[in-house]
Amino acid sequence: MAKKILIVDDDPDLVEAVTMILESKNYDVAAAYGGIEGLQKAKTENPDLIVLDVMMPDKDGYAVCKELKADPQLNRIPVLLLTAVVSKIPTTRYTQQMGMETEADDYIDKPVEPEVLVKRIEALLSK
Amino acid sequence: MLDPVNILVIDDEQIMRDGASRILSKDGWGVMTATNGQQGLEVIRNRTQEIDVILLDLMMPGMSGMEVLDHIQAINPNLLVIVITGYATVESAVEAMKKGAYDFIPKPFTPDQLRIVVRRALEKRALQKEAEFLRRERERSLRDIATEKSKIKTIIHCMGDGVLVCDSEGYVVLTNPAACRMLKLPESCLIGNLISQVNLDPELSKTIEESLKSVGLSYTSVSQELTIGESGEIFLRAHTAPVKDDQGETIGAVTVLQDISHLKELDKMKSEFIAMVTHELRAPISAVEQQLSVILNRMAGEISEKQEKLLLRAKERTKGLLALIKDLLDLSKIEAGRMVQYKEPISLQEVIQKVMDLMKAEADHKKIDLQFPTPSQDPIVHADRTSMEGIFTNLISNAIKYTPEGGRVLVTLTEEGGFAKATVSDTGIGIKKEDLPRIFDKFYRVKSTETRQIVGTGLGLSIVKSIVDAHLGSISVESEEGGGTTFTVILPKGVDQSS
Repeated sequence: MAKKILIVDDDPDLVEAVTMILESKNYDVAAAYGGIEGLQKAKTENPDLIVLDVMMPDKDGYAVCKELKADPQLNRIPVLLLTAVVSKIPTTRYTQQMGMETEADDYIDKPVEPEVLVKRIEALLSK
Repeated sequence: MLDPVNILVIDDEQIMRDGASRILSKDGWGVMTATNGQQGLEVIRNRTQEIDVILLDLMMPGMSGMEVLDHIQAINPNLLVIVITGYATVESAVEAMKKGAYDFIPKPFTPDQLRIVVRRALEKRALQKEAEFLRRERERSLRDIATEKSKIKTIIHCMGDGVLVCDSEGYVVLTNPAACRMLKLPESCLIGNLISQVNLDPELSKTIEESLKSVGLSYTSVSQELTIGESGEIFLRAHTAPVKDDQGETIGAVTVLQDISHLKELDKMKSEFIAMVTHELRAPISAVEQQLSVILNRMAGEISEKQEKLLLRAKERTKGLLALIKDLLDLSKIEAGRMVQYKEPISLQEVIQKVMDLMKAEADHKKIDLQFPTPSQDPIVHADRTSMEGIFTNLISNAIKYTPEGGRVLVTLTEEGGFAKATVSDTGIGIKKEDLPRIFDKFYRVKSTETRQIVGTGLGLSIVKSIVDAHLGSISVESEEGGGTTFTVILPKGVDQSS
């Protein structure tokens, strides 16, 4: 059975693009267009993995991730955080800080090369 | 020019008056005569300033010489009187001298005797005049100083900039209303108190104390920025310089304060604006690039070779835009002071080595010999690690970018005095002389056929400069067109600034 991936991003164009990437690799895709909707769908859609955007107006990715990981029903779902690269220079610090501050399983910079995204997802799913 | 000399002869004998007149006027001196005491005193009263010496006969009918002498003393005790004693009695001469006569000459006398006595008196008179002149000069100088003082005081009090002056022991001796306003301290708290005890910003009092300790004649002015008030609502820039005497001894320190709050506010607004705009730009461009990736990966159906070519180029453009946005964000963050907050003692050798490792692949790809000889010293700087990595990433990646295949990029690290000095030299295309002064400007890119192919935002070097500035260092560049480029970064060695 195909694995189901939940995409949470407030930008519908990005959701559409990521959906196309994932569907081309035969994943089932569910979409949520905000943090709060993302949390609901995490419960109702029962996804195998969540691709989570950081910058969202209603509830940002860090907060959503924290709630997911605090929920015993949901904390086993791997979370791939989609970060907009904040800047070129402090990438190292950024990743260090974010890695410590969030309990996301992996993070990836936006925009993402399709094959990179697919590889990371495969890696997380095979854990 | 010498003042004309006037001598008054008071004598009842015509022959004496004529004789004296003749002798004295030969020497070019002006002679006035009076036939008795009354007349003499009248002349003296009317022309006191003009008369230099008085020849006074003691034995006259009517008012006696002694009496006249008393009156003269009453008019002006400085008038020089030579008494002529008809009967050479020592007593009368002594008495006259006691009453204030300057000299005496006994009758009869020869013309030379008269000349000698008068000349001596005139010499005395010249000294008197000189002394008088000096006294007036001094009075005027004192008056000038008082005027000058009052003028300076008014200027200082009216100035919009704050002024704070300390004496050599560190006591505040002068301040103005602007300084009190900016420092939020009343004048009474400042004047007469030790600078270390007036509840001043500790950084500023430290600077002033150091300034007072400075030696030598060289002029050293220190500028620093301060925040005043609990919520940091006032930003001040303070310039402090020692005051030296002619021996080079420090006799005090002057601090001028400028309120730069409005500049800071503008700067903050500008940075926030840039941050806002770039955030708003980034999301859509990022989405467009994502869409292009999907199409290019045939995930939205097949595309023709021509379409692919166009889309690849479109993607290059969006990549360039995203790079620009990243740089803009870096810059606005550095300018907002948010980038170099995490200062810690770090090894520059370690930082450079790390960047070298990251850059190796890029250099190998262009067949560029990238070298970093192990330095003999490992300077520790008090700096923000990621910003330091940023400096060398930018400089080394630039060097690789602008050096043709087969070239060489050399990085060195040395210690010089209290500074760490790092250089990045390449054998690349170099920089034209006219481009050099603008090389650190924002958005400045050298335009030539060689650089057209090189992707860049024109912000890299201005980011590097901002970081170096934020660490109180300096950066310079040397280059010759076609002859390679060397960037030199100098950073103060790690003294913990916050302690």
